[in-house]
Amino acid sequence: MVDPIQASHQPRARSNLTRGWPFLPAGVVLLVLFLLPMTVMVAFSLWRTNSDLDVVPDWTLDNYIYFFSEGTYVRTFLKTLIMAAAVTAAGIATALPFAYFLVRYVGQRWQRIVLLAVIVPFWTSYLLRAYAWQAILGEKGALNQFLMGIGLIDEPSRLFVYNDLSVWLVLLYVYFPFAALALYTALEKFDFNQLNAAQDLGARPDQAFRRILLPQIRPGVITACIFVFVPILGEFLTPTLVGGAQGALIANLIINFFRGLQYTTMAAFSFVIAGFVIVVLVIFRRYLRVEDVVARG
Amino acid sequence: MNDWYRDVSRRRFLQVSAVAGAAVALGGVAAACTTGASKKTGTFNWMTWSDHYYDTQLDEIKKAADIGTNISELADNAEGFAKLKEVTGQLDMLSGDALWVPKNFDEGLVEAFDINSLAVSKQLYSIAREFEIWTKPAGYLGYPFGWSPIQIAYNPKFVSPAPDSWEVLLDPKYKGRIVVENQPVEVVAYMAKLAGIKDPYNMTDAELAQAKEALLRLKPNILKFAQQNTDTVAALVSEEAWLATSNLGAEDRVKDAGGSDVVTFIPKEGTIGWMDAEMIVKGGKNHDLIMPFLELAEQKEYIAENFIKYGRPLFNEGAYKILVDKGEQERADRYLYNKPETVLTMTLKGPGVSTDAAIRVFNEVFGA
Repeated sequence: MVDPIQASHQPRARSNLTRGWPFLPAGVVLLVLFLLPMTVMVAFSLWRTNSDLDVVPDWTLDNYIYFFSEGTYVRTFLKTLIMAAAVTAAGIATALPFAYFLVRYVGQRWQRIVLLAVIVPFWTSYLLRAYAWQAILGEKGALNQFLMGIGLIDEPSRLFVYNDLSVWLVLLYVYFPFAALALYTALEKFDFNQLNAAQDLGARPDQAFRRILLPQIRPGVITACIFVFVPILGEFLTPTLVGGAQGALIANLIINFFRGLQYTTMAAFSFVIAGFVIVVLVIFRRYLRVEDVVARG
Repeated sequence: MNDWYRDVSRRRFLQVSAVAGAAVALGGVAAACTTGASKKTGTFNWMTWSDHYYDTQLDEIKKAADIGTNISELADNAEGFAKLKEVTGQLDMLSGDALWVPKNFDEGLVEAFDINSLAVSKQLYSIAREFEIWTKPAGYLGYPFGWSPIQIAYNPKFVSPAPDSWEVLLDPKYKGRIVVENQPVEVVAYMAKLAGIKDPYNMTDAELAQAKEALLRLKPNILKFAQQNTDTVAALVSEEAWLATSNLGAEDRVKDAGGSDVVTFIPKEGTIGWMDAEMIVKGGKNHDLIMPFLELAEQKEYIAENFIKYGRPLFNEGAYKILVDKGEQERADRYLYNKPETVLTMTLKGPGVSTDAAIRVFNEVFGA
């Protein structure tokens, strides 16, 4: 006898399957290009590399223990987090007024042109852009020439490049478009009459900004934070090119293991970062949910 | 005669010589290929550094013998080793340095061959056909190509007295004025040389501690880690860097790029160096093309032209004679082209038992 409950569920299950097929290509991509490599990486992180540079499947936590027991790696990771946070904060602080001005005061045609200008750097190689900053910030670079030209300094300064400040500056330059585009998209949907209404009802401009604008563009702010903060945790090129001997971030140390074919140590260290990123995304996700509720309300 | 004219006429002459000389060889080998049991033509996959060939050379070989090359750029030995392990027979030939060559062989990735079966090998310095590390009962492990010791280059305008030791890299006078290659294991090896350690790739814990101590003193002096040789040259040209570690020929490259005079020397404690070879991949799909290709590509005319283009000593003695005949002896001798035995005095680059430990030491010093 056919179970009536089961029978009533079958068409729905089939219907869900039918509806779900568009998910299949993405699912396959996710499985093959993300989950499988991640699984391999987890396994590698729990194995060891022998002196012949072969990966040996001996299960061990040594790679993780090494990361947390050697102060250099923990300190460098913390430094990376601080750098990512500093760039994110500066990115939001510069991109928000930019996007606000663009959406509120610039006509549609010019908006498109300015946005195009923002994304134009993406058309050139990241490497070239980072190298260009060497030429700008270097001892004989454009910045020093300019400052000497206007008489602000007598001799070239060596403070502009090969330190943490130059890494921060170049990362800000590289990631600014990501923040700007995310915020622009959020602000574009905002009805600016609400700000006028709030002020008509007695709110100061800063109150209107904090209590009317900010809550409604919070998903855009969080998206901008994710787009800037997370990739910087894996940044190694900019610190290599403009950080000098002092500017290493955690990915630089991981790359060194890669160069020496120490795949297992590299995998464990990468997984520590990946684990942290997952935690960050979970936290952001919670904020996004809250925001969804606010937005609906 | 101005430099431009000299350069052009030298190049033209060598090109003509190369074409003429190679044509004879190409004719012979191509004939041999076509009259043999099967004509060996096609395209093979070669992972190599960009200074192991030049376009005209490859075009001529393609035209004469119908052997084409599909080249993928090699970043470093570790990458080549790792990639070959992954793709095995998809590559047919791989370039590699010194101890990486036997490493590839021991892993079963490349095969030994009878180097003397290649007529062109007679053009090599005899020493290049007899390197112990590349000799196995099954044959020779690679076709010898070029070599160089790592030297220190410095700008005498800023560096005095003239240094002769690795110690100069630790002098606080040169804070933030030194560029070294971004190769952690090698940088640790330099410091090991300074500390008098004999085998910098196979260090004990005590030796690693010595190298680390030197590395800690080196750190404040480093301006940046160079990604490639052009970074080093640019830093010396702009005079941001006063000292650098580099392959042979840094003084000419800096001069050519418009920089001031730079002096180079091999530190008295000895140095690290590389010598590279072309390895035949075991089970390569186009394996049969490799020997005919080497027979053509390693001809002295091509090698002489390669020296002119890229400037570092190569193992082809016949090419040296061409360079001498054509007025290039001063440069060739300055680059130790005629002293291939110098190779035996260098600590050769390669994987060792302390590779992991060296990276850890490097990270501990240059991390936060």
